[in-house]
Amino acid sequence: MKITQIAGFLGCGKTTLLLKLSRMLLGDSERKVALVVNEIGEIPVDGKIMEESGMQVKDIGGGCICCEVASSFAKTLTQLYKSYKPDHILVEPTGVAVPHQVKLAASMAGRDAKISMGPAIVLFDATRPAELLDMDMLGTLVTTQIKDADIIAISKVDAVDAAAVNDSAERIRKYNSKADIVNLSSFDDLGIDELAQRIIDWKE
Amino acid sequence: MDSPNNTEHGCYTEHGVSGFGVAAKLSREDSMDSTFVKAMAEEMMLSIAQKCMDSGARCIGHIKSHIRTEAGTIKADTIGVTHGTYSSGKLDHAVNDLYIAINSIIQGIKEDVVRKATLDGLHEVAEGKGVTVVKEKEHTYFDEFDFVASKQEYIKQLEEQLSADD
Repeated sequence: MKITQIAGFLGCGKTTLLLKLSRMLLGDSERKVALVVNEIGEIPVDGKIMEESGMQVKDIGGGCICCEVASSFAKTLTQLYKSYKPDHILVEPTGVAVPHQVKLAASMAGRDAKISMGPAIVLFDATRPAELLDMDMLGTLVTTQIKDADIIAISKVDAVDAAAVNDSAERIRKYNSKADIVNLSSFDDLGIDELAQRIIDWKE
Repeated sequence: MDSPNNTEHGCYTEHGVSGFGVAAKLSREDSMDSTFVKAMAEEMMLSIAQKCMDSGARCIGHIKSHIRTEAGTIKADTIGVTHGTYSSGKLDHAVNDLYIAINSIIQGIKEDVVRKATLDGLHEVAEGKGVTVVKEKEHTYFDEFDFVASKQEYIKQLEEQLSADD
């Protein structure tokens, strides 16, 4: 059971990507895919939208899986392993979660389930790089998310020109020079097949 | 965030992020088609976003809505006024009643301010279009919604949840 997180700040397109990516991973294969969604709002809107797509979805509320409900997250993974035995679990943490802490929380499930870690894919919204990085409190969070990424997907590239995409890439490189950068447009289906393949091929 | 009104505790509060959600039943004597419902939902998203920014928000995390009707589902969301809105879904036919859930996640203002902006945006836009907010309930979703229930049955379920005591 490979656990892959799709992280990134609020509004960067995680939910849209997660739905497309899960369908891509399912494809025509026998693979079983489950989704774990953690929302900080009072209402789990995203989980409901995903349920409508027919996916196996677990919605974790009551706090953030990277800290206060980390143990609930680990239990959910263990329950999924025992009841559904998925090949892949795609995790959408809250937009303010820190990927290395999500990974740490997921690893707690390793005591009762046979798990491996997929890549930490972090989305970076190409339509608002300055807004995300140039704020003191918020900027620290977003740069931490970037630093923790194994793969960074510059999202919504369909909504900006090539210069803006390059600008985002340059900003990202200042904080993480090792992660692969993928241009992503969930609306134009750009980069999704590449991310799906990277998840399938990923070795810890 | 150290407001006594802020009931969320976690890493998001450290980053000054507050969330508020509401579910409501909206009705209109003249039936509402897809175009009307999408336009109304998008206008609500922008109205709430603008009110949050006017109240001192530094960043709109996201504002999302999910609308259920007997004729289908519509979703609308925004990450800020300057970013516009996006909506999807359709209704098979025009309806008189709809059930909406709105989730607002905002950085830089406290939960009670997000609450006011969300409720004001919901009411002002709906009422401006001749739509009545028949019932509303904070911090809820239609959790007991049965996706395979008949239309009559799921409407009954939604009504029961909106009427239930906290």
